[in-house]
Amino acid sequence: MKTVCMALLSLFLFTGAADDEPKSNFTTKALAVAQPKMAKIYGAAAGQVEGYATGIAISPDGKILTTQGVFLDGKQVRVVLANGKAYEASILRRNRQYQLAILQIQAETPDHFELSREDVGQQGDFIVAVANSFKVADKEEPLSATLGVISLRTSIEARLTKRDVAYKGDLILIDQITSNPGAAGGAVLTLDGKLVGVVGKIINSSETNTRLNYAIPNSVLVDFVENKKTEASTSVAERKPVDVGIKLFAHGGRASPAYVDRVIRGGPAYKAKLKSDDLIVSIGGQTVGNVRQFEDSLKNLESGKEVIIIVKRGTELLRKPIVPREKK
Amino acid sequence: MTFSGRRLFSGRCLTLVTVLFLLASIFFGCVANHAVANEDIKKDLQLAKAAEQQRIKIVNQVMGSVVAIYGEDRNGGGSGVIIDPTGIALTNHHVIMGAGVQGWGGLADGELYRWKLIGTDPGGDVSIVQLEGKNEFPFTPLGDSDEVRVGDWSIAMGNPFILTEDQKPTVTLGIVSGVKRYQPGAGQNQLVYGNCIQTDSSINPGNSGGPLFSMQGRVIGINGRGSFKARGRVNVGLGYAISSNQIKNFIPDLLATKLVEHGTLDANFEDRDDKVLCANVYEDTPLYKLGLRPGDELLEFEGIEIKTANQFTNLICTLPEDWPASIKTKNKDGKVLEINSRLFGLPYRQPDPIRTSKKEEDQTPEERRQIALREQLINMLSAPPGKVREKKTNKKYTQLLLNRLPGDKKADDEKLHLIEIKDKILKADKEVGTQHIRLLTDGRLRVETKIDDKVQTHLFDGEKFYLLKSGQEKPTQLSSTEAKLSLQIVQALGIHTANSKTAFKQFGESLLDGGGRVRNINAYRFKTIDNEDDWFYFWCSMYDANGDPAIELLKACGEKDSDQYDGAIAFHDWKVIEGFNIPHRRINVFGLGEKQRASYANETVKVKTDFDDSIFKIDEAVETEDSK
Repeated sequence: MKTVCMALLSLFLFTGAADDEPKSNFTTKALAVAQPKMAKIYGAAAGQVEGYATGIAISPDGKILTTQGVFLDGKQVRVVLANGKAYEASILRRNRQYQLAILQIQAETPDHFELSREDVGQQGDFIVAVANSFKVADKEEPLSATLGVISLRTSIEARLTKRDVAYKGDLILIDQITSNPGAAGGAVLTLDGKLVGVVGKIINSSETNTRLNYAIPNSVLVDFVENKKTEASTSVAERKPVDVGIKLFAHGGRASPAYVDRVIRGGPAYKAKLKSDDLIVSIGGQTVGNVRQFEDSLKNLESGKEVIIIVKRGTELLRKPIVPREKK
Repeated sequence: MTFSGRRLFSGRCLTLVTVLFLLASIFFGCVANHAVANEDIKKDLQLAKAAEQQRIKIVNQVMGSVVAIYGEDRNGGGSGVIIDPTGIALTNHHVIMGAGVQGWGGLADGELYRWKLIGTDPGGDVSIVQLEGKNEFPFTPLGDSDEVRVGDWSIAMGNPFILTEDQKPTVTLGIVSGVKRYQPGAGQNQLVYGNCIQTDSSINPGNSGGPLFSMQGRVIGINGRGSFKARGRVNVGLGYAISSNQIKNFIPDLLATKLVEHGTLDANFEDRDDKVLCANVYEDTPLYKLGLRPGDELLEFEGIEIKTANQFTNLICTLPEDWPASIKTKNKDGKVLEINSRLFGLPYRQPDPIRTSKKEEDQTPEERRQIALREQLINMLSAPPGKVREKKTNKKYTQLLLNRLPGDKKADDEKLHLIEIKDKILKADKEVGTQHIRLLTDGRLRVETKIDDKVQTHLFDGEKFYLLKSGQEKPTQLSSTEAKLSLQIVQALGIHTANSKTAFKQFGESLLDGGGRVRNINAYRFKTIDNEDDWFYFWCSMYDANGDPAIELLKACGEKDSDQYDGAIAFHDWKVIEGFNIPHRRINVFGLGEKQRASYANETVKVKTDFDDSIFKIDEAVETEDSK
């Protein structure tokens, strides 16, 4: 409550001041911080997917943090800094789990964000998103600003392989519309100009045509920039298959419900005290409706990393921690 | 926290006491902090509530001016906003293309009013309609969109998804996301949004033509489009509003019932080496004749420093054909050139004629009526651009505007007044002579000018104009054309215009001729035509310093571009003296660039009711010499 009110306070105080000084308002500070550090990024378009994005300078020597995407796959990636100058960029690193990439341009970027792990902004705080949605801004033109509040800090345990969902991990849900072409990689800031995170790639439900508006928080940005986790652990393709020591009833084929037929002695499920006839409802945050989905869910788990398995036993729902092991 | 008791205790005891102290201080500290936090929250809530009240106040203040625009059959439609108490409203051209030339407008009072299309600007997606059925409509004046900053609150109102049943508009709040945005057009030179405002206030289908308000309760733009893609035509947080300042540039042409084209320079500019350079200019164009050459650097356009070609494109998009644009360039030798040139029009594609499968005799009366209305719209869009289409409507707005010239009070006064002004004439800040104006409220005038001991007397006896030069025995009669070209007569009649209900009636009948910028002020340009089709022009302001609709005489001249004979008279520093509106300074300017040649500054102003009117009679005028 207090945070909300403080945010309100600053918002309205700035509004009040706007009468005397028409050139400033409550976003002036955040925009003054952000705009010189923003980059417009242009690359290859592929079919329906746009060939442009937004980025932020994160070091004085021309490192630009942006989103991972097909626009990086073309022959050339062009970065346009806030002063309108264009540079060809090389890709230093890109990563599928974080959905982030670092570009390098041969230019100095004295105006840049100093990334920190700090969780900036709480639920209810006003935030400004600065991004080049629909590439409305060209050359030196400032990027678009939108106003919203932080709705929730949470995490998403979606499957990377699922087409709709482009991101997995911690995120900040925000209530302004940022899920637009080209906005990903834009800066999200508090009104006093502190970086909250960057705008994430579009997550669109093909069923409802609704989108999630979110920011990737600072801690994830730093993890990626510092290359904390190995590439192996982040790529589905390279990840080793895991096993939880369960045999399922599969008489009706892979579309039948995921009932536990047998628990293998000494395995992860045995340690988690699962029993025959338990119905698996979810594992690792992913809903399990049938045998096929259970098998698909396993592909997203890492061996040795504890997740929650939810099973239905009789009329009861049980939450159990389980540690998958490497498949033998 | 204090440790002063330290020496008195030892070992565990000390620790215990310290812990107690710590606990106590933390506990009490918490209570204290909590109290402060509660105070903060209270204060914040009060501020938040005050801000909310202010917002509600503004919303209520402007809501009455928002129009739900429906076509004749009351289906579909868009939005609009009333900008003048007489019911002049703005909407989008693309709304009109759907709704037609007339229809119904719903206001927040729940009533439907008839509207009629007055003029349209397909290039800038703006149309003007006239609402009828009320003596005084609620209205919201246009604001200054150049003052709008990114991050400012913006309130959009209109009728998204044709939602309203009681005609009250939908209100959506957001911020200005970008200014000076460019959104390319559709078709041939149509629906281009240059220098527009981008907002994250929800703009949905049906909002088209509706206003974007500032928190100061002014119309800063007309919402016309959004970035829609792949997800259907719903708001995705990027809406665009045509800036109020662009609209101001077009209003005079639209009220004059013209089909307006957008302007172009017939020269292209491009970014090269951090400069904006002229890429090409055609040899037979005015710009070339005025000295512009390919490779010249563009420094300023319309007084604004140009840094990129995009910025230039953005600016020129907001100007109509025939606009007196100013351009500052530098050639390869470093010579700076200041050019003033009127813009050319960018043509539109002619609309297709109506095709009907039914023969006329098979059509129902309703169908025939619909086709006739559609034909009116097509005729309007096929009209020769830049020409007054409907003289009658134009005359109505001309009269409406000129009636707003200050000075009504004395016009009804039966008693004649004499206004007497003594000026000194300055050239390059040096006094070169004197001028003595005597003006009767019925329009008779006598102006004596003395330069280098030579005296000229201009006179209007209520019927004819005369000039008497020193040394001459008898005055010569001036033709109406000669009178229009006389700076002295124009000065005196300008003052008369400001204090009567008839503007320059001695020179004929006036019509609204278009717009332009005079002394960097948006202006209406009126053209006065006499029986012999001879012309005279004068310019009036559209708004006062606060941006409220107000009209004041700015300039008058026998020629549109003030670039022949002696140029024009610009009227400055209007002040009310004993109920009369008097320009305390008049400046003789020349050409579109309004280069100053001489100025006439008031020394004394007197208003008399007791005077001898024989000085306005021609016989006496011959006898009276210099009456100074």
